[in-house]
Amino acid sequence: MLDVDLRSVLKCVRCGACRSVCPVLEEVGWESAGARGRMLVAHGILQGLDVDDDVLESINTCMTCGMCKQMCPAGANPISVIENTRHRLVMNGNMTEAQAKLHERINGTGNSLGEVSDRRAWLGKYAGSIKETAEYVYFVGCLGAYRYPESLIAIFDVLSHFDVTIMPDEVCCGSPLIRTGFDADKMIAHNLEQIRKVGAHTIITSCAGCHNTLTESYSDEFEVVHVSEFLAERLSEMELKRLDLTVTYHDACHLGRWRGVFDAPRKVIEAVCDLKEMKTNRENARCCGGGGGVRTGYSDLSLALAKKRLEEVPDGIDYLITSCPLCTKNLIEGGSDTDVIDLVELVRLAME
Amino acid sequence: MNLIKTMQEIVGIDRATDAPVQLYCYSSDASQIRGTPDCVVRPQDTEQVSRIMRFANEHDIPVTARGAGTGLAGGAVALEGGIVLDLSGMDRIVDIDINNLQVAVEPGIIHSKLNEALEAEGFFFPPDPGSSDMCTIGGLIANNGSGMRSVKYGTTKSYVLDLEVVMADGSVIHTGSKTLKSSAGYELTRLMVGSEGTLGVITKAVLKILPLPKARTVVLASFETPELAGEAVVKTLSAGVIPSACEILDRTTVEVLNAYNPNISIPNAGATILFELDGTQSSVVEESETVESVCNPLASGIRIAADRDEMEEIWSARMLVGAAISRIDPNRTRVYVGEDIGVPIKEIPRMLKLVQSISDEFDLPIMTYGHIGDGNLHTGMCIDMLDNEQWERLNLAADKIHKTAIMLGGTVSAEHGIGSARSEYMRLERGGALDVMILIKRALDPKGILNPGKLGV
Repeated sequence: MLDVDLRSVLKCVRCGACRSVCPVLEEVGWESAGARGRMLVAHGILQGLDVDDDVLESINTCMTCGMCKQMCPAGANPISVIENTRHRLVMNGNMTEAQAKLHERINGTGNSLGEVSDRRAWLGKYAGSIKETAEYVYFVGCLGAYRYPESLIAIFDVLSHFDVTIMPDEVCCGSPLIRTGFDADKMIAHNLEQIRKVGAHTIITSCAGCHNTLTESYSDEFEVVHVSEFLAERLSEMELKRLDLTVTYHDACHLGRWRGVFDAPRKVIEAVCDLKEMKTNRENARCCGGGGGVRTGYSDLSLALAKKRLEEVPDGIDYLITSCPLCTKNLIEGGSDTDVIDLVELVRLAME
Repeated sequence: MNLIKTMQEIVGIDRATDAPVQLYCYSSDASQIRGTPDCVVRPQDTEQVSRIMRFANEHDIPVTARGAGTGLAGGAVALEGGIVLDLSGMDRIVDIDINNLQVAVEPGIIHSKLNEALEAEGFFFPPDPGSSDMCTIGGLIANNGSGMRSVKYGTTKSYVLDLEVVMADGSVIHTGSKTLKSSAGYELTRLMVGSEGTLGVITKAVLKILPLPKARTVVLASFETPELAGEAVVKTLSAGVIPSACEILDRTTVEVLNAYNPNISIPNAGATILFELDGTQSSVVEESETVESVCNPLASGIRIAADRDEMEEIWSARMLVGAAISRIDPNRTRVYVGEDIGVPIKEIPRMLKLVQSISDEFDLPIMTYGHIGDGNLHTGMCIDMLDNEQWERLNLAADKIHKTAIMLGGTVSAEHGIGSARSEYMRLERGGALDVMILIKRALDPKGILNPGKLGV
């Protein structure tokens, strides 16, 4: 990761256009909580502004949802500046307790949750039949492995129809570390060795954070596809029945705005049931409030933002579909009245 | 006297701060002016603002009102410390009164949000700044802002019927009434509009609204030279057509627009005019035919926007083009100085030529665009922010642009405000009228606590 450089900060003309899209600014109200404020704070740090708890809060309460970057007329990249500023702060020992604990958990246990149990326990009925090598390797992710085993079984029920396996010893992809200012070289090196062992040419992801990190921060010797993209290309090979359901879809920021995966999830959904869009969607979808370390470090803010996102769920739908377990978790804990399920769980229903 | 403690007693502990990070974030707007306040306060109602003003007046503490901080002249920057009043949280629409053709709002309401609410009723608030998505109505009133449609609809001052204002001593007055016209005494509403927070703090506004036009269309006309473009505009206006917008874009501006949104693809030429016509379906067709026939002998190309989507794309890109010029070079950033001159309409082609010669003289590329229909020209200069020599040339060019506009009978600010960035030109532009402004300022704010250092008063 690069240290923050002055020129990238100076690209901001302080026009305030990002004020209209920053969900944190809308919630908190203080200038320091918006993208323009964070650019100013980043500039201030470079000029010797004392780093105190308020500075850390300003820099660390960004979900890196990317709305500001997408719309910035001046072409500034606040997300890059914020992440690089976090890195600079962390390297100088300036971090919150939540950041320090997250770092300790991941480095100590190989997962963001600090779990010490078997990461492959979710496999259940598949435990004895995992292939050592395959064309495709499914990157499971920490949240799925430890919090949503039933989603993973649903995903594997679908993926097991293809030449797909999982890694013998997967660890965290590194996304939570990178987003919060740490280096993730150790995790990346470990996973790369594992992927090479499997001999796969393509990594399949089902978490937006993993997907983005594997695409952006890993070796380009592998192709990375989200499970929605993988399935969208194989719908004709799958015997899917039509479900009498109407669902809505929440675009995960790191899958949608960051990586441009908008059509594939919709193609999969529309192959099995009716889709009714949320009030903001695709490039303009509002963040669930979970990313960028905000769920870990500032849970009240994160859940308040989840509630705002839930206000955009249309009437008359059966499920709120996501493509990321962190979004699933945040939207459920934010108090969703509608059942929140992963896209592949929906596909699994259509296979029954 | 403990300032922050008193402020927290008035607005609540979470709505007043003197944390260094906040003071830093509130020390600037989009201009190059800087000033650090002693505290930032986010009041929620008029009574709180009144109590704050009473306290500030008693203790000689400067007070600077701020909306979204999107100003381009330092109007919301606390030059002499004191209190910054962040009014962006007072953002309610108090009443949409269709029967009386008016809406009552708090100052923090965002311009586009107001128009979204009015659109549902079939109405709109006509002034349309490029910063519509982020600027507050309070800031718009305080600067008498306008935008692209002022050629037909005028500026903000034409739409303000009544203001609730907290005066320097904390007293609260209403400057007008709910009637659409009034002859009762001095026109205090217009005095407050454009006063940039130097005479009082606006806490509520009653605004006149208009029914939304039933139809709109955009005609794009390309010309080989700005002079031909200027001639086409004058002939269009004298043919009896008042467009709802009439924008001139130079070659660089068109390049920036096309780069910002490749879907637009405006043909590049020496100068491009965007005519927007609104009204009924038949009047729009008739007027666009007139524009085409007037421009035909002068233009190198004319086309009409295909549909509503293309029109919206053109306008949304045009609105943000001022900042988008920063995309042209990764090492350069747009700096807002000398960016808001206004000249008599017929002087626009001459001013464009003079801007070009200033660009040559100081070896600085200058993008020019603006509201040719009302004489308001924006100049956009980009520099390497780390190069002191470029800063020097930039400031010299801006100074010359301002003085040239005044020499042509124009103004240094047509819609962005004076703030402190342009206050040095007030004497040159307004002459003895500035002395009257100073007398008014002294009468209404004897201690000089309201936004000191602005407007040259």
